[in-house]
Formats: sequence, C-alpha cells, structure tokens
Amino acid sequence: MSVNAARLSRRSRAAWLKKRVAQTLFSTYGIGAYLFLYLPIVVLVLFSFNDSRSTAQWAGFTTRWYVEMANDRQIILSLWNSVFVAVVSTAISTVIGTLAAMAMERYRFSGKLMMDAVLYLPIIIPDIAMAIMLLIFFNLSGIGFKPWEVLFFGVRLKVPFSVIIGHVAFNISFVAVVVRARLAQMDMTLEEAAGDLYADPWRTFWRVTFPMMLPGILGGALMAFTLSLDDFVITFFTSGAGFNTLPVRVFSMIKKGVTPKINAVSTMMLLFSLLLVGISITLSKGGDSESSIDRAV
Amino acid sequence: MAYEYAVELRDVTKRFGPVVAVDDVTLSIQQGKFYSLLGPSGCGKTTTLRMIAGFEVPSEGEVVIGGEVQGHLPPYQRPVNTVFQNYALFPHMTVAQNIAFGLEMRKIPRGEIRRRVGEMLELVHLSGMEKRRPTQLSGGQQQRVALARALVNRPKVLLLDEPLGALDLKLRQAMQLELKALQEQVGITFIYVTHDQGEALTMSDKIAVMNQGRVLQLGSPEEIYENPVNRFVADFIGETNFIPVEIKGDGETPVVGIGAEAVRAVWAKDALPVGRSAVLSIRPEKIALRRPGAEEAGAGRACISGRVVNLMYLGTDTRYVVRIADDVEVVVRMQNVSSAAHFFRIGETVELTWDPQHGRVMDVV
Ligand SMILES: Nc1ncnc2c1ncn2[C@@H]1O[C@H](COP(=O)(O)OP(=O)(O)OP(=O)(O)O)[C@@H](O)[C@H]1O
Ligand SMILES: [Mg+2]
Repeated sequence: MSVNAARLSRRSRAAWLKKRVAQTLFSTYGIGAYLFLYLPIVVLVLFSFNDSRSTAQWAGFTTRWYVEMANDRQIILSLWNSVFVAVVSTAISTVIGTLAAMAMERYRFSGKLMMDAVLYLPIIIPDIAMAIMLLIFFNLSGIGFKPWEVLFFGVRLKVPFSVIIGHVAFNISFVAVVVRARLAQMDMTLEEAAGDLYADPWRTFWRVTFPMMLPGILGGALMAFTLSLDDFVITFFTSGAGFNTLPVRVFSMIKKGVTPKINAVSTMMLLFSLLLVGISITLSKGGDSESSIDRAV
Repeated sequence: MAYEYAVELRDVTKRFGPVVAVDDVTLSIQQGKFYSLLGPSGCGKTTTLRMIAGFEVPSEGEVVIGGEVQGHLPPYQRPVNTVFQNYALFPHMTVAQNIAFGLEMRKIPRGEIRRRVGEMLELVHLSGMEKRRPTQLSGGQQQRVALARALVNRPKVLLLDEPLGALDLKLRQAMQLELKALQEQVGITFIYVTHDQGEALTMSDKIAVMNQGRVLQLGSPEEIYENPVNRFVADFIGETNFIPVEIKGDGETPVVGIGAEAVRAVWAKDALPVGRSAVLSIRPEKIALRRPGAEEAGAGRACISGRVVNLMYLGTDTRYVVRIADDVEVVVRMQNVSSAAHFFRIGETVELTWDPQHGRVMDVV
C-alpha cells in the first residue's frame, strides 16, 4: 500500500514537473514573440522623442520633431493627399464591394463561379504584381496619370485619377469579403418574415437587410480606409510624377537619411491606425455575434 | 362570415426539379377553425404552408384565400401571416418594434399602432418587455413575440410552422393549451404544421394527415383516431395492432379470416375483394381479455384465442402481449379496474374479444 502510494506520488510529481517546464517554456516563447513584434515599435516611438538627430543614441526628451513635422508643408500636403485618396476610394469601393457581395451571396447567374475566384484575386496576388499591372493598364489605356484638382477642406490638392482607381481596385475585394461574411451568417427567413408582414422588397431591404448588413459594411469600409491610408506599393506605381501620399513621402525622406522626424510621422500613423482598429472592433462588437471582420480575414 | 372557407387548395402540386414535394392536394379549410397538417418529416407540410403564404408558387393547381384565387400574388399582398419555426424575429428591433412592423408597413396611424401593440403584449403576457431585444428573451417568450407579431395584423389566416418545436417538453405542453385558448379567443383560422401526433390531437378541430406529398385523411381528432382510412394513418396516430387476415366475405360488413377463425369487421375505406390478403387494425384498448370458457362473450363480439407472452404493469392499466399465431402478436391494454380476476399471467391461455366495429379492414400497405 505505502509502496504503491510512494510510487504514485513520484509519478505525479514527475507529471507536475513536466507541466511546469512546459508552462515556463511556452510562456517564454510567448514573451519572446511579443518582444519580437513590439520592441521595434517601442524603439520607434521612443526615438521620436529623442533630442538629437541621431536615431541610435538617447540624448534626452523633446517634442521638437513633432513641431518640425507639423511645420513641414510637404508632409502636411502628403497627409491631405492620403486622407483624400482614402476617403474617395473607400466611398466608391464600399458601394461597389457591397453590391458585389450581395450579388455573390444572394443571386445565381452565369459566370458566378469565375467571378467568385476573380473577385478575391487582389487579396491574394502580391501588391507589386497588382501595381505593375495597374501601371501598364494606365499607360496602355491612355488614362495616364492626369491629376484631378480639388479643394478638400480648403486645401488645394492635385490627385491623379489613377491612384484612386488603383485603391478602389484592391479595396473592392476586401469590402466584398467582409460584407459577404456578414450576409452569409444572416438568416434568410428574416427577409421572408418581412415580406410576410406586408413589406415589399424595397422596404424589406431598407428595414431588414440593410440594417443587418450595416456592421459588415462599416467594418469593410473601415478596413478599406485603413488599407488605403497604409498603402505604399500601389500608390507609388500609379501616381506618376510629383504626387505623394504620406507613406510615399516617408519613403522619399528615408532615402535622404533617417531622422527622428520620420519616427514622429510613423508614430502618428501608428496611433491613427490603432484608433481605426479600435473603432472597427467596437463596431463589430455592436453587431450581434462574432466580428464579421474576424470571420472574413 | 363572408365565405365559408378561409383557405382552399385546389389540385395543388409543387415540384422541385424531380422531387414532388406536394402531390395533388385538395383541401378546404373552414373559417375560424384550428387545422393541423400532420405528417412525418419531408412529407410536404412546410411546402404546403409556404404556398399558402406565397413564398412558393404551385407548379399546378390553385391556392384560394377567402374566395380569391392568389395566383402569383407575393407574400406581402396576401391576408395571411406566418409564425416561423425559428421565429425569425428581427434582432435589430425591440419586442415592440417587431410587433409593430406589419402595422407600420400597412401605414396604420401611430396612435392605433401603439394601442394594438399594447393589447397584443397583454394578450401574450409580455407587458413590460416591449423595450427588450429578441436575444434578451427566453425561447418561450420569443415564441410569444412571434405569435404577437403575426396576430396583431388580424390576418384572415394564421400559418404556424412547428412553432413549438424548439421548446422543451413542459413549456411545449403549456404553450399548446395557451395557443388553443388564444385561437378560440381571437377566432382566427389557424393552420398548424406539426409532426407530433399528440400535439395535433390535443389542439385541432381538424387534422389533415399527410404522407409523401399527399393528404391521406382529413377529419376531427376522434375520426382520425377511431376511423383511420389506411394503414399509414392508423400507424402514425396512436398505437395499433395490424393482424394479417384474409377476406372471406365482402358485403357491407366484411368477414375476415384470422388463421382458422373468422370474425366480422368493418371496411376502413373501400371494400376489398374476397381472397385478398389484408390487415385488421385494432387499437390495444379496444380488446378485452378473458379466461376461456368463463362467462359468455357479449353478443356479437369477435373472439379469438391466444397465449400471454409478456405483460407490463403501468398503473392505470396493464399492457399485455398476446400471441395468437406463431408469428402474430397482439398488444392489449386492460384498465386495472377491479380484482384479481382481471389479471392474467405469462403463459396463460386467454380469449381476446372486441366489438367488430373496432376492427378495421385495410390494405396491407
Ligand atoms: N427549395 C427546395 N428545393 C428542393 N427540394 C425541396 C425544397 N423545399 C422542400 N423540398 C423537398 O420537398 C419535400 C417536402 O419538404 P417540406 O419542407 O415541405 O417537408 P416537411 O413536411 O415540412 O418536413 P419537416 O417536418 O422535416 O419540416 C422534401 O423532400 C424536401 O426535400
Ligand atoms: Mg417543415
């Protein structure tokens, strides 16, 4: 009896030890992964406050790089360009993407299978391939890189149509994926119920289908907006000469050397992206059940 | 009382590709009554209901509501409302908004909408919950909202597709009584789809038993239970014995042979020719057991002998299994009304007697 008990306790101690080792190892891995992901960001943010031109050595706290950034007319102009491109391309791609998602999810038509595959192509193929395709397309089609002169919140911008078309082209897919995921989880009998309760198809859409889709549409739009703001490759290849969005501007600044000003710009972009992601999470929580963005991506 | 029938189906057939979901159904549903469509899964109950509601258009035949041929009229132009199996409540609206939806769509004035929604909430015992979302309600409460949302429109006909299917047994039984009482109170024609025979028997004025897209029998619960027209109906509703027999005489009241003995019976539906193999359907509670040679059988009672092979004491009654031939066993339920004289042991030889009116002769299939 007692021999057995001793053996048992030795065995259970071995099991306990094994568990502890596994626990320690895995939590170390976890911390390592987080460090790997976030250490560069911490360094980036930290050195945007470094009181020195060097980005290698800490020389005390300052906010002068932020002031300098705010006074850099090139940066501010490129920021306006970014926002304008993002707003316009998001608006267009949200409408087209939503309609595409509804067509794919609700209707049967010839060529649907092919359209299904093609619709998601921009998500799968590398940015650079898409960028070059667009570049060739704008050249060959004669659309070229003619700028569109607009007054946007009192700022005069010259934005090439080609950049907006390029952004719309890749954003449609993302919007369509997110909205479609939302539609797929939607109960079709809700629309039948509306019809049963004297709502014609038009009112069924606006009173039932659309409100149910809305979290998906907003999620898709937000995603498109974020992707558009962040995009470098497609913008770079479709903008022709002399047009900068913020990422493109940062790139050309880096070519002249890294300064804490770039860190400051990057930190601001980071904060803004975080804000957008925060909004998108709140939105998708507002809709029922799980996030349609999570499902789609 | 404009028109006798709330709904009529005239030779209605519905095909989905090669599948015949509803097969030449003709049915007249009286105003103000509680009708059930009863049948096993896949027999076409939902499809029938969806054709009345207008979600499906018949491949052949006509749906008539209140005397008007519906043709291709869409659901939103038909004077019927549906309670869906999964309730289909709008999750982005409150209870009150859900109930008000149909009235709003028909542009009823706001004041009247508020009043009628209030009345409905009271009728289904949901007062005080109007601000809640459907997800914040229990299954039974959601069911009531679905009911209120349909009833508030005062439709000519209310269609219900297994509305209690998602509820647990106890709640289900409570809701059965409530629904029936509600139907009598509002006086609207109910067409109720179920595959639960007990539910159909307790609630309905009339039951239409369906199988494989056809209506096999339409009648009151007693008619369906006491006078089933064929083997499927007899088997689907309640418990019954099917004793293999041979037709010996095909007069008004047939004579059938069970092994060497002959008994009188009644036709379930049509007369069958002499010499044909058939089955005799008798409910277990219609048969009485007695010791052989004991008192006289009641005048005119059918009588055959057998041996008790099994019994189960169930309190109010005892369920015997009696072997009457090598491969034929009959179930008998005897009420435990009096003394030991009424109890039989396994292995005991007994005589089975019944009123020939209760032995119904029908085709083997
Ligand atoms: N839209 C459809 N397309 C193809 N076949 C269908 C369709 N709807 C129903 N059917 C078929 O028609 C038959 C009847 O279906 P229905 O839904 O009416 O059965 P039900 O009696 O309501 O069954 P349950 O009790 O399981 O709900 C089934 O064989 C079903 O597979
Ligand atoms: Mg069904």
